[in-house]
Amino acid sequence: MNMGRSSAKTALVVIVAAILIIAGGLLVGAKPLAPQAALKVLFFPDGKIDSILVWTLRLPRSLAAFVAGAGLGVSGYLLQVLTRNPLAGPGLTGVTSGAVAPIVFCFVFLPWFSSVFYPLVGMAGGLAAAFVTFWISRGGRGRPLHLALGGISVSLFLGAITTYILLLSGTQAPSLLFWLTGGLQGRSWTQLAYMLPWVVAGLGGALAVHRAIGLLMLNEEAAAGMGLRLELWKPLLLLLAVLPVAGIAPVAGPVAFVGLAAPHIARLLKPGGPRSSIALTAALGGLILVAADVIARSIAIPQELPVSIVTALIGGPVFVYLVQRRSVSF
Amino acid sequence: MTTTLDVRKPAPLWFLPATFLFALLSLSLALFLGVADVAPSDIIAVLTGHGSAEARSIIMEIRLPRILTGILAGVHFAVAGLLLQTITRNPLADPSIMGVSQGATLSVTIFLVFTVYIEDPGSNTLAAIPVEWLPAVGMLGGLVAGGIIYLLAFRRDLGPLRITLCGIAVGAVLHALAIGLIAGWGSARIEVLLEWLSGSLYARSWEHAVFLLPFTIAGLAVLPLIRRSLELLRFEAPVARSFGLSYRRQFSIVLLLSCGLASSAVGAVGPVVFVGLVVPHLARFLAGRHFALVLPLTVALGAIVVTLSDLVGRLAGQADEIPIGVVTAICGVPVLVAFLRKTP
Repeated sequence: MNMGRSSAKTALVVIVAAILIIAGGLLVGAKPLAPQAALKVLFFPDGKIDSILVWTLRLPRSLAAFVAGAGLGVSGYLLQVLTRNPLAGPGLTGVTSGAVAPIVFCFVFLPWFSSVFYPLVGMAGGLAAAFVTFWISRGGRGRPLHLALGGISVSLFLGAITTYILLLSGTQAPSLLFWLTGGLQGRSWTQLAYMLPWVVAGLGGALAVHRAIGLLMLNEEAAAGMGLRLELWKPLLLLLAVLPVAGIAPVAGPVAFVGLAAPHIARLLKPGGPRSSIALTAALGGLILVAADVIARSIAIPQELPVSIVTALIGGPVFVYLVQRRSVSF
Repeated sequence: MTTTLDVRKPAPLWFLPATFLFALLSLSLALFLGVADVAPSDIIAVLTGHGSAEARSIIMEIRLPRILTGILAGVHFAVAGLLLQTITRNPLADPSIMGVSQGATLSVTIFLVFTVYIEDPGSNTLAAIPVEWLPAVGMLGGLVAGGIIYLLAFRRDLGPLRITLCGIAVGAVLHALAIGLIAGWGSARIEVLLEWLSGSLYARSWEHAVFLLPFTIAGLAVLPLIRRSLELLRFEAPVARSFGLSYRRQFSIVLLLSCGLASSAVGAVGPVVFVGLVVPHLARFLAGRHFALVLPLTVALGAIVVTLSDLVGRLAGQADEIPIGVVTAICGVPVLVAFLRKTP
């Protein structure tokens, strides 16, 4: 119990840090705000420029970043549990590119297709890509290298197709490309509401089945011995892992490395059990993406960097560090 | 035990000339087929120095330089893949998996974005791409990526599989940077950059081939010199050292060569994926026990695969041709997946 309480405290600290960064993010941008002015319009919105900056541009955007980061973190956590592979994440298992490719296809070739259904399309694609990757790596039980190479070849394949669709799309290419780099520019309350249910479903589902996750983390034989029906739970966990990505992809595009890095950083903080790991991973994923988003929109004012550049620069070294650790056997 | 040796039939020696003949055949096929209809008699007339002005311009200024650039690039990718697979002792290494192509992509993107803004601000014309610099710029980026992988690999004396995974990470970071750069600053030239990024032989001129050729010659000339170390680098480091190989030096030389070859080709035609992966496997399959045949077969097959993929992309897409990178990705993935399922 002690462990549980201390990790609850850690999660609280992380969330407070995220709130502080969101608050700090309200001040920076193309038009900097003074703290007093920001506070004033935050509590008494008056419809003037400062108020619009805070209420329709900066606040919802940072919240969206937090939600997206939390969803990606949960997704990465579940994939790492499922594959028992520290390198798994939405990127390396092909889930992200699997979600993106059919959405790009629908955007370019089926313009009458309402964007409300994009998460469903993304989910179907993400699941299909994940199944192919898992099939290559023998359900994640093969060597970690198989998973990495299987995922990267699925991603390269879908990436080539996506690029070709982009070429055919003509004038839509620049806007699609900016979306494809992963970014939260101009995202407001609508987009936040749009992806929130998907992330909540993934996070809530993962928290609800934390006991099964705890058993699966032992090893598969032990889990089966404890009466866990693997053929039922593994597809369910995969579905839970794909749900957040399917909701996030249409809004924020493919954001690299957050799903990979967040569970590992959470593990460094030594959470008590699966439930607190999930909560901590979600909080950390949100924190990472909020911070990356604030950096991306304030470092090169008035230009805006795609957030994936920042997350790749943070996540790439984490990945390399993980690969170099001796405890992971290949 | 003897049966395991007998399973592989020794490849007949006519294999090599047959492959080169096939390479010639695919070259002429690519020359004779195309979206614009040119009668075969006209093409032969052009090749012997006659023919109408129209046929002459189609063959000599569009098809031939394009095919030759493709052949050079194919040889580059295939040899680079073979070298990488040898030194990492990983049958699935490839310049586009190991991050080398992404390094070249990033440097070329930076170069194109900056030269556009400095030389030609506010213009949407596509004529001013500094073709002659592309292979060298690409090579610079590829070498930097290779250097990063090398440092990561030798700082902790990593095994070949960890090197591959480091390469994947480095590649992902560099790729994100390149894409971000394009999205942030390249909007005036987005189509050119995209076409180049998907790996394309569209509108490749004599300039592309001529400026790539020195790299090809230099790379292929070094190959005979490092043949012995290549054979030894296939073994674990201690074994190779016990044969008297200065492992680290030879490893760096081969890595350098492989990065140089792959990234200069990326500069000219963009990152064509999977050629470097699939071709060495085909070559090894055909060569069987004759290790000496693998290298020449790789060269020939690299040329064939790229020429035929480009032909498929040209014919299948008609007016909107399919970039060769897309064709090779679609054909290469099933091969890769089959290999992955087969290797334990």
